[in-house]
Amino acid sequence: MTTPAIHASGLRKSFRATDGTTVVAVDDVDLTIEPGEIVAFLGPNGAGKTTTVDMLLGLTAPDAGTIEVYGTSPAEAVRAGRVSAVMQTGGLLNDFTVAETVRAIAALHGRPDRVGLVLERTGLTGLANRRVEACSGGEQQRLKFALALVPDPDLVILDEPTTGMDVGARQEFWQTMRADAALGRTIVFATHYLAEADEFAERTVLMNRGRIVHDAATSDVRAAYGGRTLTFRPPAEVVGADGIDAAWLARVRDALAPLGISDLEVSAASLEAAFLALTQENDDDLIGAAR
Amino acid sequence: MTSTALTATTTRTRTAPRPAMVAYARLDLRRQLRDRMAMFFIVGLPTFMYLVFGLGSDDAVGSGNVAMYIMISMACYGAVTATTGIAGSAATEQMMGWGRQLGLTPMRPLAFVAAKAALAMVAAAMPVTLIFAIGAVTGARGAWSDWVLGAAIVWLGSALFALYGLAVSLVFRGANAAGIASGFIVIMAFLGGLFTPMSGVMLDIGRFTPLYGYAALARYPLTDGWLPIGGHDPLWLPIANVAAWTVIFSLLAMWGVRRSRART
Repeated sequence: MTTPAIHASGLRKSFRATDGTTVVAVDDVDLTIEPGEIVAFLGPNGAGKTTTVDMLLGLTAPDAGTIEVYGTSPAEAVRAGRVSAVMQTGGLLNDFTVAETVRAIAALHGRPDRVGLVLERTGLTGLANRRVEACSGGEQQRLKFALALVPDPDLVILDEPTTGMDVGARQEFWQTMRADAALGRTIVFATHYLAEADEFAERTVLMNRGRIVHDAATSDVRAAYGGRTLTFRPPAEVVGADGIDAAWLARVRDALAPLGISDLEVSAASLEAAFLALTQENDDDLIGAAR
Repeated sequence: MTSTALTATTTRTRTAPRPAMVAYARLDLRRQLRDRMAMFFIVGLPTFMYLVFGLGSDDAVGSGNVAMYIMISMACYGAVTATTGIAGSAATEQMMGWGRQLGLTPMRPLAFVAAKAALAMVAAAMPVTLIFAIGAVTGARGAWSDWVLGAAIVWLGSALFALYGLAVSLVFRGANAAGIASGFIVIMAFLGGLFTPMSGVMLDIGRFTPLYGYAALARYPLTDGWLPIGGHDPLWLPIANVAAWTVIFSLLAMWGVRRSRART
């Protein structure tokens, strides 16, 4: 029996909104994550993902409930360098260069030896002398990831890590992450990009309105809420640049009709259906909880 | 997830990391020194004003001359601009999210405050040293105690304006807080008689402003309280001024800190 990477029970956190009303951001969350897992936190804005992440990192104290990270308090785990994070709201200093930013954080971790390695791992070596303000959103995000790798943590928590990245940058980022996960790091990431959870996480925790509404293997979540999708590969000659040949599709439709199959649709399978099924029923005023 | 990965992550022993605060402070200092605009106001402008107004002014003032008087005033302006700017940027950094990055390191918040305070004092020492050095070679005259006490009070007293910078940045959040803080410094420098001696109603008002007490105290060894355009301040006046503003800035800063915490 190993110590879980994260063990939280009964987490609750509410905030006072500017108009004086109390908003419950996280409501009775139980969560256990074992070392080596890759877990996605999926949910719409205001679902309580960031607040949960803050509590896991010891940046916010829960109103109720307990959290242990590798058997100690979150703050202790952070101090020991076992946990680090890429935070949505974490900022960089514009007038530092990329290398100076990493050196500054490495100094505080007492790990100046990691600077070169971390820059290389995140593909930032070529940008080392560029000012942070001159970096693109994707490059800044990679830099934040580099900072998270400085203490050589066992657990990395990523809160919306690919915000502001274009498709190419996003793919590159997840490639880096995948390489890193292969080294045995535990990875927890919050996202509202369904495809990211679908592609990258073994386990998906769906959050809505401060509660965990589903927690299972990613494929199970998709299957349980997204319905079943029958897929097949059409012959190569009917697939063109603008999709599948319409005449051929009509023939498929005709051929399937005697089997009782209707509403033939061509699409890529995703978690989207599950996501919508779980979150659409109560999508009214979430603005106050957006945090 | 493989079993080798599991054992690798759970049995790894860790040595307690020790934050290298000096290395961090050095990087931070270098970053601030690169800010040409800030350096112009901290070092360039007061030096320039000393050269324009102070150079060759050999009329007697107290135990020295006018050049000495202007030298101390301009050093005051440079030093408070430095501490205001650095303390203000510290608060802005926190609000911009850098504080959250630092929150994920073993550094304790108190160490951050200490590092920034040290940084502010190093930055404040720069205009004081430079302007006093220029004064020394260009004919500022005074008793040795005027030099030593003057420099010490200018330098140490500028710490009060670190509190001021912190308070302003916490009260006016956002990126332009630093501009607001240094703008007020210019106004207070006029009211405090740093740029030009005052008399009459302006002097009566000025006596209540924060830079007046600080600069009057720094010049006290030189002037013994005698004002350039007639009149005399007893020693308790600048002391009371500095004490009162220390309390006011502390309360404002504390209120600002509390307010910024309440949000998160």
